[in-house]
Amino acid sequence: MVDGGSENVVAIDARPPRWTLAAENAMRFSLPVLLAFLAGAVLLLAIGENPVAIYQLMLSEGFGSERRIAATLSASTPLLFTAVATAVCFRSGVFNVGVDGAFVLGGLGAAVIGYALPVALGWTIAPLAIGSAMLIAAFWLWVPGVLLAKLEVDEVVSTLMLNFVALGISGFLVNSVFLSETSGNNTTETIHEVAELSRLLPPSTLHSGFLLGLLCVLGYAFWTQRTPQGFEAALVGFNNRFARSVGISVPGTIILVMIISGLVSGAGGAAHALGQVHKFSDGFSAGYGFTGMAIALLARNSAIGILLGAILFGALASAGTTVQLFSDIPLDIVNVIEGTVMIFAVVELGRLTLWRGTGQ
Amino acid sequence: MSDMIDQVLASTLILTTPILLAAIGGLVNRQGGIVNIALEAKMLAGAFVSVVVSSATGSWFLAVVAAALFASLVGLVFSLTITRARANMIISGLGFNVLVAGLLGFLLSRIYGTSGTLRFPDVQLLPRILPESVSTIPIFGEALAALDPLTAFAWLSVGALPFLLANTRIGLRLRAAGNAAQVVRAVGLREKTIQDFGTVFAGFFSGLAGAHLALYSIGLFNEGLTAGRGFIALAAFYFARNQPVQTAMACLLFGLLDATQIRLQTAGYPPKLMGTLPYVMVIVSLCIASWSQKKKAHT
Repeated sequence: MVDGGSENVVAIDARPPRWTLAAENAMRFSLPVLLAFLAGAVLLLAIGENPVAIYQLMLSEGFGSERRIAATLSASTPLLFTAVATAVCFRSGVFNVGVDGAFVLGGLGAAVIGYALPVALGWTIAPLAIGSAMLIAAFWLWVPGVLLAKLEVDEVVSTLMLNFVALGISGFLVNSVFLSETSGNNTTETIHEVAELSRLLPPSTLHSGFLLGLLCVLGYAFWTQRTPQGFEAALVGFNNRFARSVGISVPGTIILVMIISGLVSGAGGAAHALGQVHKFSDGFSAGYGFTGMAIALLARNSAIGILLGAILFGALASAGTTVQLFSDIPLDIVNVIEGTVMIFAVVELGRLTLWRGTGQ
Repeated sequence: MSDMIDQVLASTLILTTPILLAAIGGLVNRQGGIVNIALEAKMLAGAFVSVVVSSATGSWFLAVVAAALFASLVGLVFSLTITRARANMIISGLGFNVLVAGLLGFLLSRIYGTSGTLRFPDVQLLPRILPESVSTIPIFGEALAALDPLTAFAWLSVGALPFLLANTRIGLRLRAAGNAAQVVRAVGLREKTIQDFGTVFAGFFSGLAGAHLALYSIGLFNEGLTAGRGFIALAAFYFARNQPVQTAMACLLFGLLDATQIRLQTAGYPPKLMGTLPYVMVIVSLCIASWSQKKKAHT
């Protein structure tokens, strides 16, 4: 468990006017992003490229036309899920870094159901697949949730380790039980056409999973802002002892947010499998869980921030791919920017105390 | 049959080394109060630097030193984000892993024009300490013949570490910084500087780990070279609760798993599933530890 810190408590007690809060959040979102782009610019300068030109190219590749926007939204689809799944836990002070593993297992479950059920079931296959994926992933994250709530097993370590276990299990399954007979190594059969999520703007790969992701963000916004349970979950994150003393069950909340996180991760994996790749193969998640974490951190767990962050990283991913094609800039620049964003998102820039320990 | 045991022993010893070196760094760091998730990044950076320097200078020793120093520098920057800029250590660590992998990938494809694997001419590999003739000794012969300076250094460190942590000034201060920061502050020491030392130490050892991976036998750099070994190291010292000797035993066990993987595979054990064993072991051991603690608290 991580204590929310005193800052947050003050924010409840004496709430400053709304607009300053909004301005502060906007700054907290944009400053790490700006600094990360600056770091990227330094790197580009160092290899003798013009960063302004490259960023302009990325901007137009990310948002320049309807097709490019569709590609960006398509790339942001899995991130909507993983960011919500991360934020729902971080908000309660539960440091769940296991969304990636849950996403992968959900994707595997959905893909298997998507090809193994008889075609005759028609349109019902997709909801069945999504539902099972959600259950599998929820169970997967329920385990570290219970371990934390009942035995105080550090959730950072358990969820981090479970990611590797999930990769191992899924890697084993797609090479044995679920291995496709026709298409070689490390992959399942392609799912039935009826199980595919519909494409929204063909020929782009943007699919209705994006709408499902938006629904998750909306549901998250509603849950956090308008339900007593969502408020209680936030209290657990703000001030654990206070929450306990007003009668909120801290263990219950921990397990609840882990289950919600799993449900959302599983839905994300299912959407990716049914909408984007139409099967499960090794390397199913391109680090979506970790990018989702960067987004949740940037957004400080707010729904609107998650939406913006997912689109930003979606644009980076889709523009990065084409920029690599058109210019000589390796796609790895996206990782450089993402890593820097993660670091700057948690660094307290106002309190750089380089020379002396200030004490508490 | 006995030949097979010889070979398994030798490859266990060698496959253990990088995990062990990184775990030594990580456990010292953790005793100082910092959980180092960025071991993987520093191993990767160390591996890269060692290959470049070994090729440029033709000296394995300079390559190893350069790798360790460069990884220490990465460790220092990582440490400063935590101790001075109050970054969350887990997120910052994950961020460094993404960042370093991204930077190296960027360098590889842009400057060296390859994606994935970097080959250099004239890379000098790590030498073997003992003469070839020791391999005729039964059972341990192969392992002795395979012994390289970094492996020897790793095991010497394991031997020295309990003493260093318990009986030297810096060892005590480091553990105090991890366990009772107020006390350290009260006696006028800077606990953050001590913690920085711990993270630089972890960087140094992870750099050695990376150099061993790259320079023991293959002599090239690959983006997937570390293959999660930084996290296996993390699993090892979590499993052994930061005790040097127990951590080394855990590393040996994981090394043995790695060494027997191919044999296990032919015996019908799926390697991917076997590969998850270290991680499962950590979770189980954490459960047992806190379960027995709870039981003690009740009685």
